[in-house]
Amino acid sequence: MKNVGLISALIYTGISLTAAGVFLGITLAGNYTWVARIGGTAWVFLLAMIVLMPVVMPLVKKRYRS
Amino acid sequence: MESKGLNKVSISLSIGDMTCVSCVSHVEEALKGVTGVRNVVVNLATGKATVEYDPAQASLTAMKKAVDDIGYEVVLTTANLKVSGMTCASCVANIQKAVGDLPGVFSVVVNLATGGARVEYEPGITPISEIKKAIKDLGYQVEEQAPGQDLLDREREARQREIQRQRLNLIISWSVGMLVMLGTFQPYWFFPKILPEWMNNKVFLFFLTTPIVFGPGRQFFIKSWNGLRRGLTDMNLLYATGIGAAYLIAVVNTFWPDAGFGGKEATFYEAAALLTAFIILGRYLEAVTRGRTSEAIRRLMKLQPKRARVIRDGQEVEIPAEEVQIGDLLAVRPGETIPVDGLVLEGYSSVDQSMLTGESIPLEKKAGDEVIGGTINKTGAFKFRATRVGKDTALAQIIKLVEDAQTTKAPIQKLADQVAGHFILGVHALSLIVFLFWFFVGYGLWFVPESRLILTPYLLTGMGVFGFALLTSVTVLVISCPCAVGLATPSAIMAGSGKGAEYGILFKGADAMESTARIDVVIFDKTGTLTRGQPSVTDVVVTGQMTQNEVLRWAAVAEKNSEHPLGEAIVRGARERGLEPEAATEFNAIPGHGVEAKLNTSSILLGNRKLMAERRIFMDGLASEAERLETEGKTAMFVAVNGAPAGIVAVADTLKETSAQAVKELHRMGITVAMITGDNRRTAEAIARQVGIDRVLAEVLPEDKANEVKKLQAEGLRVAMVGDGINDAPALAQADVGIAIGSGTDVAKETGHVILVKDDLLDVVAALQISRQTLRLIKQNLFWAFGYNTVSIPIGAGVLYPFFAQMVSPELAALLMATSSISVTLNTMRMRGYIPPIRRHGKSLAPAPGGA
Repeated sequence: MKNVGLISALIYTGISLTAAGVFLGITLAGNYTWVARIGGTAWVFLLAMIVLMPVVMPLVKKRYRS
Repeated sequence: MESKGLNKVSISLSIGDMTCVSCVSHVEEALKGVTGVRNVVVNLATGKATVEYDPAQASLTAMKKAVDDIGYEVVLTTANLKVSGMTCASCVANIQKAVGDLPGVFSVVVNLATGGARVEYEPGITPISEIKKAIKDLGYQVEEQAPGQDLLDREREARQREIQRQRLNLIISWSVGMLVMLGTFQPYWFFPKILPEWMNNKVFLFFLTTPIVFGPGRQFFIKSWNGLRRGLTDMNLLYATGIGAAYLIAVVNTFWPDAGFGGKEATFYEAAALLTAFIILGRYLEAVTRGRTSEAIRRLMKLQPKRARVIRDGQEVEIPAEEVQIGDLLAVRPGETIPVDGLVLEGYSSVDQSMLTGESIPLEKKAGDEVIGGTINKTGAFKFRATRVGKDTALAQIIKLVEDAQTTKAPIQKLADQVAGHFILGVHALSLIVFLFWFFVGYGLWFVPESRLILTPYLLTGMGVFGFALLTSVTVLVISCPCAVGLATPSAIMAGSGKGAEYGILFKGADAMESTARIDVVIFDKTGTLTRGQPSVTDVVVTGQMTQNEVLRWAAVAEKNSEHPLGEAIVRGARERGLEPEAATEFNAIPGHGVEAKLNTSSILLGNRKLMAERRIFMDGLASEAERLETEGKTAMFVAVNGAPAGIVAVADTLKETSAQAVKELHRMGITVAMITGDNRRTAEAIARQVGIDRVLAEVLPEDKANEVKKLQAEGLRVAMVGDGINDAPALAQADVGIAIGSGTDVAKETGHVILVKDDLLDVVAALQISRQTLRLIKQNLFWAFGYNTVSIPIGAGVLYPFFAQMVSPELAALLMATSSISVTLNTMRMRGYIPPIRRHGKSLAPAPGGA
């Protein structure tokens, strides 16, 4: 079960970081302040984590069990 | 017991219903057939099966199903837990998930409204301590429920603690929150004249708001974190992100005003403070609602007497009621509560049973009559022998039935829970989308520096793109919270089942209540349900070979050993005419046809046309007489002696006084009413005409009643069957709703989904009316809970902003959110004053809550 937790954490954190990175990348191309860029990146990362954690964990658990 | 090896776990399961060695092999084979099970050893003497299995492949559920499928039973332990700290449907979902995921747990049902959890589990795999730990780890308090009065006290204490806690939070958040709001508004309108300038100091507001966010608001952060680290989301997360984000913006704008979040003019301290205050208002109202809706149980529990007067060695001794034993002799004086169920031995009195049966008129009790514990002795004194004590008393059984009903889930609630569970995730996803939209698109296209938040003094002039997008995102989180959904259904079910109990109508589960509300057809069993079940002899027709008395005597001889109501009527009829029938030397009942008997060398046949035709006895001369009697609604029974036709004995039952009124009312409610009987069609139709029944199912053998129900169901109709719980058990079980009528006080033994304590058909109508009202209430509650979200989410997401340049502030969002909770709470409260229409103008009016 520990493996499930670790694998899940790696997946949802990875996807969230990617989403936040994409957000930051887009803002770098535009005319935004650093507060907006960093604040926005943090908010996107937080919401992405909240959305992904409950989705990824059962999926990984299911796959692990099967 | 459980032991673990490499991918191998060994458990010991208790198996019920095993009687012999072949049972052992059946169970072993069944368990070995489950994928992942390595080895099984079943011990008949101990009733245990030791199973070695791979937990990655096999589950307890699969093993239980395999055993159940072959007719045995895995005996699981049931724990009733009291969980406090739950606030919404997500808490329910989270606990169910966390506990349900434990390896030894077979089922778990959590009820938000009662704060109860029922867990079916195998203690050999998962002990109760682990289940409690799983719930505690989520941040809730949990304890095992104790029975009876103790439970009542503990429940009340726990509820009071929760209400007090939220009340304290409410006082703190509102009193300090109002100061924050006054401070925020200090520069506007007439406030500069009455408030000092320092009240608007941002640091001062920071020091006022911080204790609100981390005091009363702390619960949301702790609970959401506890859930989140297990991959579970709930409504606390919405609150925590909403309050946290509003507070962070305010702090940043206070101490780093040039950071681009709107500067000192956009310190939303009042948003964080009032957001917390409104959410806590919602919490407080929910805690109060939960207390109110379980009042029915509390009222029933209050009826449980504390003391009993037992007669020992000729002396009256007062002892605690729970110490009364079966067989004890008890004395009851006028005005006292009867302590346990029993049989009156001497004395005479009238007893008020309204609190249990809904019967408003006190009943007379004399020697030989049954008395019920918890009812009130009105006038005289009497002595009685205890027949049922403790958990077997009628009151304890009724409490258990009502409790069970309240801990189950209606199908509509399962759907609502599922939606609510996914809703939280959806809201966070929506909040992210809204943020991205306003950040990359909306702000550049529509932002107007002169715009403001609705009902606040703020201009959004200094608001940067991040601050604006974040504000909208947070508003969506707060405004979307479906916090009322968790209460919408269970609170209505609790109110409805409690209301039913007031009238002696007991629903066995929330699903029974929902099914009752959706019924299309009600089938009444005839004998004993529509009729009194005490028929009497009305006519004796003879062929000319014998006199009327001779025919009746032969019929009575044949029926002397019969327990059938028609047989008893014939024997009674003979005795009334001064004939004492002899006992038959041989007797054989032919179900659905009649009886055959022998008296010495004479053979007697008594029954319907079918029986006579099968035995080749031709009753041609009596056929027209039989038809005439049947057209009059009488049951004509042919009598043949020594193979020759002798005559007809006609028996008729009388209708109950409320039958016609009940049928009329059901018709008025748009329900088709049918009657099922073993009688021939002509008799059945005559009875049906008298009460106004549409559909007659006649000549149905007792064992075929369930098939007739099935046929109606095959037509796509939802069928309720009303009958007595013993003879009609298969049909009651087959029906969508089985209504057992006139069960009296032994409610636990009854088959059926709805139990009517009184023998009054109007209660069938009342049951339908209460269930329909409850379902109506559920739908209204769900409308308020979900409908509000449907309307408010787009507004929160800023769809009006491009047109009116007005945004909803987080605190206004919280106010709107609390409105849905208030609507649900007030709507559910309406059930308290509800009286089923049939009882408003009926002959027996509803008793006052709590009985006498």
